[in-house]
Amino acid sequence: MPPEPPDSDRPNPWGAGESGAAGPTSPRTVVTAEGDKAAAAEQFNCPNCGGSIEIKAAGYTVTVACQYCGSTLDVTDPDVRIIQRYEEEVRKLDLPLGSRGKLRGIEWEVIGYMRRSENGTYPWDEYLLFNPYYGYRFLDTDGRGWTLGRQLTEMPAKNGLLGFTVDGEFYEPFYAQTRNQVDFVLGEFYWQVQVGEEALTADYVRPGKMLSWESSKHETEWTLGELLEPNEVPDAFGVEPLTGGGLPLPHQPSPYKKQSGQMMKIAGLAAAAIILFAIMFGGTSDPETTRVNLATNGVEQSAKIGPIELTRPRQAVTVSARAPGIDNAWIDLAYTLTDRDTGDVYEASNVVEHYSGYDAEGNWTEGSRSSSSKFSMVPAGTYDLTVDAAGSQWLEGQYAATRNAVVEVSIARGATFYSNIILALIVVFVPAIWVWIRHLSFESRRKSDSDFAGDDDDDD
Amino acid sequence: MSRGIMIFAAWCLLVTSGFAYASFAGYSPFADGQRASGARGPGGVFIGRGGPRHK
Repeated sequence: MPPEPPDSDRPNPWGAGESGAAGPTSPRTVVTAEGDKAAAAEQFNCPNCGGSIEIKAAGYTVTVACQYCGSTLDVTDPDVRIIQRYEEEVRKLDLPLGSRGKLRGIEWEVIGYMRRSENGTYPWDEYLLFNPYYGYRFLDTDGRGWTLGRQLTEMPAKNGLLGFTVDGEFYEPFYAQTRNQVDFVLGEFYWQVQVGEEALTADYVRPGKMLSWESSKHETEWTLGELLEPNEVPDAFGVEPLTGGGLPLPHQPSPYKKQSGQMMKIAGLAAAAIILFAIMFGGTSDPETTRVNLATNGVEQSAKIGPIELTRPRQAVTVSARAPGIDNAWIDLAYTLTDRDTGDVYEASNVVEHYSGYDAEGNWTEGSRSSSSKFSMVPAGTYDLTVDAAGSQWLEGQYAATRNAVVEVSIARGATFYSNIILALIVVFVPAIWVWIRHLSFESRRKSDSDFAGDDDDDD
Repeated sequence: MSRGIMIFAAWCLLVTSGFAYASFAGYSPFADGQRASGARGPGGVFIGRGGPRHK
């Protein structure tokens, strides 16, 4: 049960509860646990302020920071020696000491709290959780998320130049070796800890997990942390959710990664279907051709192809033109597709042209001797195609131009509209690419805080 | 599968279906040939045929 503080003006980090019975001069009292393997609780009085202190993990706990006066006590000494007196007022914690909550199916009690930082910068809170049957866990936060950590009993395997592997999972380096210190301590710990104590730390990450190395003058240890869902700690301990903000956490998985992958797969399937449909329904068939002989003097010549039977309710029609012999000349082409029964007219115009010459950079050519025009959704019926062609020469050029030309015009049923394919692919892929860009942006922001991001922009 | 993915899958299905229909019916918003709307002479011959000419 949480004890009663000796000074009612001070905040009670143990939370509201029943008062303890021990007085300032009472001896150390052991309260046995229910199970044989569980640690026993122990009660005694703070030698500095007289406040009643209960040790949750008696036999394991080495250091206790008094929750009333903040003094750090050595509980391995039978007389409970004061390691460090704390002068400031004890602060109120987000997770009060003594509070209990169920995380990942196990009930934990908050027994210790440390505030740590890199010489006052980048502070974070570290809570020590205890369960008599499962031991200790760490619950860390810097205000952006909660990470539940457990100390590893084996050293991770080195993988590559800088990374490590734990349980077959690779962890890439994120924060290089940094010196940090304990700024504030409260509650009980299974190791000796006091304000001002320094340690070297380095962190390695993979999505959702962080592997932390810590070395002090006493020991070196590895901790594997798992990022909790934002609502897990608030639900377990009944506290307010973190406000978050700022850069993503080093081990925060991109919320867009899975979505981006799924969207890309769906878009890929859709693209395959689009190409399949383009092959199935595209292309031309049954071409009919006519030739038009003309001089390149601007005089128009006409020719007719027909009858052309279109049997499907709606279909595309392709009219192609080819003038292989022209040079420094062009042929204007006007097509008129007329339904014999209804008199409906469909029209299009195009050009075939080719120019060539020689300049300081060598030979040059321009234009194309072939072209095609496509009619969309032409109804079933019997049609005639009228071709009006007019050839012209490039008179301004100093090069010889074709005087007479032959243009071959073909009409065929069907067409492949490449613009349709491109448009459909764009419409399908743009949302997937947009989510993928958001994923890359998230990852870029997450990695921007890393000491291994390539952009060395931080200093001590 | 999230709601967003379901919506996107439905969107892709809609686009693919639309493309299949357009391909089957020979439709394209970018087709060169258009139905003429001007006056026609006897026999359906279109009068005043225009269209771009090479300059």
